[in-house]
Amino acid sequence: MLVLAMLSEQSWAAGARGAAKGALAPLESAMTQASHSLDRVTSVLGDISALRAENQRLMAADLALRRQVIELDAAAKENASLRQALDFKRSFGHSMVAAQVVGRGPDGFSRTLEIDRGTVDGVRPGMVVATGAGLVGRVREAGPHGAIVQTLADPRSRVNVYLAKSGLQGTVTGGPNALHLDIEHSLGLKASSGEWALTSGVGGGYPRGLVVGELASVTYRPASTSDQALIAWVNEPTSLSLLLVITDFVAS
Amino acid sequence: MKRLAIAAALLAGVLVQVTWAPRLTVAGVFPNLALVAVIAITWTSGVRHGMAWACVGGLMLDLTAPGPLGPHAVALLAGAYLTGFWARNLDRESVVYPLIAAAVSTAAYSVVLVGVDEMVALPVPPWSVALQLVIAACIYNALAMAVAMWVVRKVRAPVTRDHRELA
Repeated sequence: MLVLAMLSEQSWAAGARGAAKGALAPLESAMTQASHSLDRVTSVLGDISALRAENQRLMAADLALRRQVIELDAAAKENASLRQALDFKRSFGHSMVAAQVVGRGPDGFSRTLEIDRGTVDGVRPGMVVATGAGLVGRVREAGPHGAIVQTLADPRSRVNVYLAKSGLQGTVTGGPNALHLDIEHSLGLKASSGEWALTSGVGGGYPRGLVVGELASVTYRPASTSDQALIAWVNEPTSLSLLLVITDFVAS
Repeated sequence: MKRLAIAAALLAGVLVQVTWAPRLTVAGVFPNLALVAVIAITWTSGVRHGMAWACVGGLMLDLTAPGPLGPHAVALLAGAYLTGFWARNLDRESVVYPLIAAAVSTAAYSVVLVGVDEMVALPVPPWSVALQLVIAACIYNALAMAVAMWVVRKVRAPVTRDHRELA
């Protein structure tokens, strides 16, 4: 297994590895759709039990109405999400590919997402991934019909950011519960809660100006060279379903 | 036929783990169904079976994770070996031991996974974060193990009874 790990890590094996990983993508996609259906069913069942307790006579009519509301609500949310994505695509000015999330990383060490777009659709490793709300992460691996995205929540991810109000710079790292930000000290400037963190473009890994999140809390450390802060990420990783892969930005 | 059923169950477990289980995230972790399944197999069928299925389940996990093929398989092998060693020397009918075995094997699995990632030059999380994740995963998987053992014993109960009747 160790030999397999070392061999499959080689660049010449990347194609075969990507193809093998793509083999599970259709099954993951089917399972994701099944879990969405299950969510709808459990949601409707929850409504039924509440209505039964409230009024037996109105249950059938109310159930039908509630189901319609849930369906309309889901459609409205999807519509809003697509509109947001479209607006973002128009205003951001980069070329993008929309992708559906079909799976997630297998454990807490790798906060990754699997998407249903791959090299056939122009997706390449290193490309930046976002939503209409802001930055999600980066494509780590790409197979012909699927790719793995390393999100900002992954403990191994690093993003250089600046704060919109104070202009201070820092580095965001992933974490199990929140994103952590190390803010470099600058004379006379102080970060405060509620400030927005955006990608600074420093290091060339990400384009400048993508929203990362809002400062939830700041811990000042006068004796250190940096302050620490927690960031409320604009994207909730467990609810992400539609992503945009920026195809014309090359990380330097 | 039995092997096919186990393989299908393991595949289903892996698919649920990477699609639905992340919704049950607590303290940054969610149940590792593949690991729990491998520990349950090892506990009930022995270390040889457990390690064979650890390879299969690990490769399935590797297909859904970034990086090379193999790290999850190696990590699951360590978990299965530890569970097998434990099961050989203790009462297999105990309710508590499998839970402790799941917690200890989760710790071994995590340490080996991080170690292998480091060995193949993949980035690894900082130790403070890793430790927090490992502790949470140990507790979560031990709880999941209780459910898994209940299911396994229910499934195996008729088989065991038939064997006893034949004897």
